[in-house]
Amino acid sequence: MPPSTCLRSFSQLSLDSTARASMASRIRLHPQMAYFSTSAARYANPVSKKKGMAQAAKKGTRTLNVKKGRSSTQDTGKRPAQGERKAARKRIVLTNDNALEVASLKDITKADALSEANQGRVLGIPEATVDALRAVEAFKTTQGWSLFRRPATLIRKETIELAKVMKAAEDQRKTLRRILSGERLSGKSTLLLQGLSMAFVREWVVINLPEAQDIINAHTEYAPLLDSQPMQYTQETYTASLLSQILKANNTAENPMLEKIKVTTNPVLPLTLPTDATLKQLIELGIVNPEASWPVFVALWQELTQPGRPPIMLAVDGTAHMMKESDYLNAEVKPIHSFDLTIIRHFVDHLSGTKSLPNGGVILAATSQSNAPSTPALDFSVQVAEARQADPSKTPRWNPYKNIDPRVMEALKDLHSPTAKEEVKPLDVIKVGGLSKDEARSIMEYYAESGMLRAKIDDGFVTEKWSLAGMGNIGELERASVRLRI
Amino acid sequence: MARGELSRTLWSAAEGLRSAPRSQCTRTMRLPYRSLQPAARFISTTPSRSAELTSETPEAQLEPFTAAPEIEFEADEGGDKDSGGGNNQKSNNQLLRTLRVVPASRSYFSAKPTFTDDYLHVSALLRSVATLPTILTTEAPRVAWKTIDQYRIMTNEPVKTQRFHRMMHIVKRLNLVHPSLMPEHIKTAMRRFMKDSQPGDLVPAPQLVDDWGRARGVGRRKTSSAVVWLVEGEGEALVNGKSLSQFFGRLHHRESAVWALKATHRLDKYNMFGLVQGGGSTGQAEALTLAVAKALLVHEPALKPALRRAGCVTRDPRKVERKKTGHVKARKMPTWVKR
Repeated sequence: MPPSTCLRSFSQLSLDSTARASMASRIRLHPQMAYFSTSAARYANPVSKKKGMAQAAKKGTRTLNVKKGRSSTQDTGKRPAQGERKAARKRIVLTNDNALEVASLKDITKADALSEANQGRVLGIPEATVDALRAVEAFKTTQGWSLFRRPATLIRKETIELAKVMKAAEDQRKTLRRILSGERLSGKSTLLLQGLSMAFVREWVVINLPEAQDIINAHTEYAPLLDSQPMQYTQETYTASLLSQILKANNTAENPMLEKIKVTTNPVLPLTLPTDATLKQLIELGIVNPEASWPVFVALWQELTQPGRPPIMLAVDGTAHMMKESDYLNAEVKPIHSFDLTIIRHFVDHLSGTKSLPNGGVILAATSQSNAPSTPALDFSVQVAEARQADPSKTPRWNPYKNIDPRVMEALKDLHSPTAKEEVKPLDVIKVGGLSKDEARSIMEYYAESGMLRAKIDDGFVTEKWSLAGMGNIGELERASVRLRI
Repeated sequence: MARGELSRTLWSAAEGLRSAPRSQCTRTMRLPYRSLQPAARFISTTPSRSAELTSETPEAQLEPFTAAPEIEFEADEGGDKDSGGGNNQKSNNQLLRTLRVVPASRSYFSAKPTFTDDYLHVSALLRSVATLPTILTTEAPRVAWKTIDQYRIMTNEPVKTQRFHRMMHIVKRLNLVHPSLMPEHIKTAMRRFMKDSQPGDLVPAPQLVDDWGRARGVGRRKTSSAVVWLVEGEGEALVNGKSLSQFFGRLHHRESAVWALKATHRLDKYNMFGLVQGGGSTGQAEALTLAVAKALLVHEPALKPALRRAGCVTRDPRKVERKKTGHVKARKMPTWVKR
């Protein structure tokens, strides 16, 4: 008997004797029987096993089994813990210690974030911005961040186009809306990320809906919004987590923007807000009480649109998901249109131009080619806008045999039949195409300097990869030159 | 004297027959070989050269000969009597009429007269040009010679393989005579042993770069076929209106599609646009390889050896093997079952 067991037995014995004095004599008669003897169990008849109740072989046992046909490879490994696989799948790795540090890599700075001189350069994202981007889930697992020492992006033609839009929005306090389109792997999500990082660097308020699919796929709870006509639905948990993202991304140590701004309006909230509260406190109220998250969001938006506040960047990825009916059902067991979800309605109102940002700002909506439901209205609108950019006289016609979603058509009216005559259109498409050869060369030099591409970067090599990547598709270029090295 | 005269006439008749153009072979060729198959023993004795058969076919090159009339022995005796009388001219004609026809070929009474003739003929030719300078076998003009079966059908004789090859050895030696000194009659003689169609006979019409600077090439592989137009440019590529990366998901397929350009370092010199249909991705990509190579050869014919080294010139003839009856697939047999 190990000493610890022995000791415990003694202690129990003493406890018993003190607690129940009447039993003391019996204990004295059989002083150790209950605690020290193991013979009873040992000599008891073994319990006959019921037939068919044989226990399955324990995991991890190894037995000799040389018979043919039986699976000899028993799984002896440990099962991953709950949520571990998902965590591994969703993990964002932004650094590669084996990659070389690129000495010539400069960061985006506040002064020249929107300048055109950067075109064709690879610029790093400052660390604070990286944290903020991580907080708003702007990095995607499919992007190649884990290949390089630290996040850096190529400032391409489309980025400059977006920077111009942001500059116009900032200077003239305009609300400009852009939809990012382009073929698969052409860098739409990365362009969105560049937009977000420029906004962070320029100290805008950034609100990012990382994936529209997560809002409409009925994975979070929803409730009808009282006094709404037609009926709208709030998503409390989602809104609360969105608020926490907003707080984490926009209230960093370098720029504690939300702490500085005081609540000036008198918002109607189900909970009491301390007097002289800051926006941070307002948001925290919504995070702690998800049932109040939507009124808090509305109050926050009202605060942010007060005069004198910074411009706003409102962005979404996977736009096609929000341009159709959602997976939620209403009381009549009919699908709820995505536009009736409050968060999406809020976004679409700004995208369509129904509501504007008084302090200026940019609404960005990135489409996706790899995970997109069919949305003929959005596709058509984007097609028309792209065709108009190429040649205003040749725009495609609507195919009458396709199922049209009138609410989406109405929302994207400015895109397929614009009325504005301005130079900078309020709603337009940024077509993300292929890189030029200079841009391709620049990014490949960055690859080579990071030590991920071991080749001499000359014209022939650049052209070869550029051609194989489908005329400069940046995702394919990365695949061909860094990921798949044959 | 009479004996001498007789022999001279015989010889003159024989000479006349020999000098006539030889047309036995063409004649014998007309008779299908297969008709002789059931009675193989006839083969050795060339019975097919019957007068009936030749008269049926109106052949312009027939030898001018007439079969001798039957010998009338009574008249012959009378002739003998007359010969003492002295009408010499008449008696000679009479004599000639009674003579038997001498065969044209000296090997007429051998088992395989045409073959023997051919053999003797080429041997004689070789003797006549044996002293002329020759070229190396590798440099000799490429000729597709008749196979032994084709020769057998032509001559209608059961020529033995070994003998045939011995003859062909001589013919091939004739082919080695230096082309600038090759006599014309040897060329014509060799034509008898050549196949009807020669390797270099079918020359495809040369492709040209058209008015818009496009060169067209067609390629096939498995069940895919591709048409490619190549223009001078800076490395853009469209397949069925899509970019390479949109059309081919695998990097390998993209590389094969432009392999002809990549292997010759011409990827940044040309733009290509292609149409491809049929088959799967691999077939389409490799059909494009061939088409691009052919189009590139129109622009730069000197690249042919480089492209051949890169494996872009030859069409891969492999196709899916057909399924056979009794088999599960093309070759797979059903599993053996005891009962």
